[in-house]
Amino acid sequence: MTHYIQNPVLWALLVAVLVAVALIVRQRRAARALRQEIAGLRSHYSALENEYAQSVEAAQEQAEEATKTVLKSAMRTLQGLAAEQQLIVSRLQNKYGESVILQDLLEIDHTNSQFGRRAQSIAVLCDGWLGRARDVASVYDVVRSAQGRVRHYRRVEILSQVDFGITSRAVEPVALALAELLDNATSYSSPDTVVEINIRTVPKGICIVVDDAGVGMNDEERARADKLLSSQRVSGVSALGNPPQFGFAVIGVLSERFGFEVSVDSTSPYGGVRAVLLLPHDLLTNAPEQKEPAPVVPAAAAPATARGGPEGALSTSTTADGLPKRRRKRPMAIVPGSASASTPARSGAETAAIMGAFQRGTQSGRATPANPAEKSSSTRGAGSEGHEIS
Amino acid sequence: MNGFGELEPQTPELVRPYVITKGRGLPDEGQLSLITLVTAAADHEQRPTRLSPEEQNLLDLCSAGYLSVAEIAGHTQLPLGVVKILLAALTEGGYLITRAPVQRAPLADRDILEEVLNGLRAKFG
Repeated sequence: MTHYIQNPVLWALLVAVLVAVALIVRQRRAARALRQEIAGLRSHYSALENEYAQSVEAAQEQAEEATKTVLKSAMRTLQGLAAEQQLIVSRLQNKYGESVILQDLLEIDHTNSQFGRRAQSIAVLCDGWLGRARDVASVYDVVRSAQGRVRHYRRVEILSQVDFGITSRAVEPVALALAELLDNATSYSSPDTVVEINIRTVPKGICIVVDDAGVGMNDEERARADKLLSSQRVSGVSALGNPPQFGFAVIGVLSERFGFEVSVDSTSPYGGVRAVLLLPHDLLTNAPEQKEPAPVVPAAAAPATARGGPEGALSTSTTADGLPKRRRKRPMAIVPGSASASTPARSGAETAAIMGAFQRGTQSGRATPANPAEKSSSTRGAGSEGHEIS
Repeated sequence: MNGFGELEPQTPELVRPYVITKGRGLPDEGQLSLITLVTAAADHEQRPTRLSPEEQNLLDLCSAGYLSVAEIAGHTQLPLGVVKILLAALTEGGYLITRAPVQRAPLADRDILEEVLNGLRAKFG
């Protein structure tokens, strides 16, 4: 054992081991320090990365907001102009209603409606102005309004009607959303097919069903549509692709904001897409009164107003244009036979007074006194002649 | 923004006239003039349910008797041409009957009238 102690090799080994241990410890320490440094750097890096992503996002949002603001005000101007033009065209249609120009005016009107709708759609995506407030309108009229806003409106057929109205707040959004659905339906089906609209009452409200006979959507398109219609869509105008596809994005925004539901996930009986727009009860109201009820005034009421003199004339109702409304006295006496006499009743004394006045008038009118027999015969002749003429 | 809306009472109509006419063209001038008389066909009781409210309205107006085209247009708030298009379509569908305006009576010859007057004077005067 002792000779081992004196062995220098042992000492050398011992020193070597000590040195090795010291080295290892140092290395370990260095490695730990390095590791800490790396971890620090990594966290710093990720923090930087986060910050960068955030700032990029913020910049993007800002740019998006700026785009939205610019587009919104630009669209506001365009929408205003379109509405103004629509009023002018309406006025022209009334003014030149009887001439051949009307045909062209109707076409201009159609183009203008489409133009207005485009501006409206972009405005909706930019959280902008939807248009002037509307009165309560029947579901049927809202559907027809939507029909008028698409290019191929002649191919759209409304097959059923319901007796419901849409609240004034929802008239414009529903019309716009439906117009976008119809635009898709008519653009993605062949020009000789018909797009059918059915309006049905369901327990939850009213369904407006749009069936087209197009080629339908593939899974990818369907997924995209579902995403745009759901609340997890990307908002904004920059994510619409090129050429931009507004339709579903607009419908998604509108349905979320105004509380109706749109689904396009079923197939129509004609092989195309079936789109269903479900209006809940809180968007519905009673059907509005007809704007022009064309009052057929009962025959008995007519003489009363006629004899009322100026007061009676003043009290007659006026049209929306401020013109006095003409009242029909009787259902058309032009046709012989239907002229049933409904003369106002006169008392005997009144009749006698009137006849007396008449006679005095005729007598004073004849300058030359004539013999009574001849006079009566001549009046009789004239009377019979008058009958023959009429 | 609604404040301005109240100041301007005019709002474009919701349903545009070209939708009401369903894009049909104007009828011939000869078919319907301002004074053509129109009435509902006798069997208008079996009315199809697929008429638009405007068409129903026109049928209601005409069911009371003969009305002239101008008068019908006055009762509705639609441009005259639009009313004509609707009336032409309804006539084609057999819901309405039109009657050409009554010919204007030819003016009687002044000489004949004078002769008659002279004859009457000679007999009675």
